[in-house]
Amino acid sequence: MLHRSLIGSLAAAAAMALAMTGTRADDELKYPDWSGQWSRTGGIQWDTSKPLGRGQQAPLTPEYQAMFEASLADQASGGQGNDLRYTCLPPGMPRIMSVIFPMEFIILPNTTYILFENNMPRRIYTDGRDWPKNLEPAFSGYSIGTWLDEDGDGRYDVLDVETRSMKGPRAYEASGLPLHSDNQTIVKERIYLDKANRDILHDDITTIDNALTRPWTVAKKFRRTRDPVWSDYDCNEGNQHVAIGKESYFLSAEGLLMPTKKNQSPPDLRYFNQARK
Amino acid sequence: MLRRSSIGSVAIAVALGAAMAGARAHDEAKYPDWKGQWVRMGGIQWDPSKPLGRAELAPLTPEYQAIFEAGLASQAAGGQGNDPTYTCIPPGMPRAMTVVYPMEIVVMPETTYIMIEYANQLRRIYTDGRDWPEALEPSFAGYSIGKWEDEDQDGRYDALLIETRGMKGPRTFDASGIPLHKDNQTIVKERIYLDKANPNILHAEVTTTDNALTRPWTVIKNYRRERKPIWFEYVCAEGNHHVAIGKENYYISQDGYLMPTRKNQPAPDLKYFNQARQ
Repeated sequence: MLHRSLIGSLAAAAAMALAMTGTRADDELKYPDWSGQWSRTGGIQWDTSKPLGRGQQAPLTPEYQAMFEASLADQASGGQGNDLRYTCLPPGMPRIMSVIFPMEFIILPNTTYILFENNMPRRIYTDGRDWPKNLEPAFSGYSIGTWLDEDGDGRYDVLDVETRSMKGPRAYEASGLPLHSDNQTIVKERIYLDKANRDILHDDITTIDNALTRPWTVAKKFRRTRDPVWSDYDCNEGNQHVAIGKESYFLSAEGLLMPTKKNQSPPDLRYFNQARK
Repeated sequence: MLRRSSIGSVAIAVALGAAMAGARAHDEAKYPDWKGQWVRMGGIQWDPSKPLGRAELAPLTPEYQAIFEAGLASQAAGGQGNDPTYTCIPPGMPRAMTVVYPMEIVVMPETTYIMIEYANQLRRIYTDGRDWPEALEPSFAGYSIGKWEDEDQDGRYDALLIETRGMKGPRTFDASGIPLHKDNQTIVKERIYLDKANPNILHAEVTTTDNALTRPWTVIKNYRRERKPIWFEYVCAEGNHHVAIGKENYYISQDGYLMPTRKNQPAPDLKYFNQARQ
């Protein structure tokens, strides 16, 4: 005869297994299957259909086009231009959706999470909330989403997202394409699976920003890996870039400070002279 | 009369609502409710029941006690000692579970996710029955396998048992620089469960087995639930005034100049600037 506790354990295990199957079936009926690991297709430029830099043909205002040109000139001389990622600041929105390293979605009724290997998660609130009155600015901003069942089959297929309240500095890509310093950016996204290939995810991203003459829409695509291996990327680990004041330097392999531009001044060591007195 | 599209929309909304309610009912029947924001109770030291530093009484081997003492001496002189997090690298496991800034736990059938605001720490706890991979890429957070337990046999899980391996360093237990062994062979076992008397308190019993220790070291962490959380974005690199150059730690002044962090600290060697000028 089976021991009573063993029978109890088996019954509980059976009940849990049934409940688990039920949950999965419900979820799969209601939300799209975005499980797995999503990797970018194309390069790290903002509009992946065009080359990085001037080739993006970003609709910048004259003022911000001039800033962009200055950034390109600085980068050409060895500097970092407007791209402050070398200090390990997060890319923020919308650039984070370039998905340099892969991402994962977790879909819950009230929140969709986008997890990145090299950034804080994005939380997209889908619980019907309105915009909070006092929003603390964040590089990733604050995102509210709406699920849509566009084909009317009883299952959601599109997540519409609006993101506000970003902080800076932010650029669209490594070339330093700038966003406005007023950080009034609004980003609208439409995320959905490709109808012909369920292992391709689309994110149509429209950025409205005062550095632009018109809303700028780009289409990002991501490819699914169903049995992923996740890596732990941390920008700060082994970052050889050093920012001192407004200058960026580089650390040599033996740990010495190096210039990044021709004739770059070394850092001012005035506080060391004082300390030695 | 309602238009056909409106009727269709209402029907779909009702169907979706029913399905959503069903999913929630199943989830709540099976897994514990760990929703919300979890905020640490107590300080940032490893064992919150004891003071930071030597008073933690960490069971270190003589070799690692000496390393710890050297770290404390460095900190007393203005240095950072053994604590590497001033360079904004993540604290890693087990220190991540000190939860300097709040965490969220998302329980899914095959994975439980622990997201910690501080230093962008994301832990994936795999509960799909997998075995340890043959080749593990070391990471600060390590690789975690978990198992749900229904300890009171009421048909609902109540404890998550986790084992974490595959860490990389440098890591310390807390800001005082209590070291973990540099061989990174650490194994961390956790038992996470809600307080039986107060479901707004979460416990994590964390046992660390490490070659810097003479025995496994168990501490109990407690977290308090905030049911209507506001999440902040903490970015260590934003406004970090510490600068590591070679083996030295310097500081950036408010006006953007390099400063020593201890008395008579040598200035950085600028020989590459001299070469560049030649």
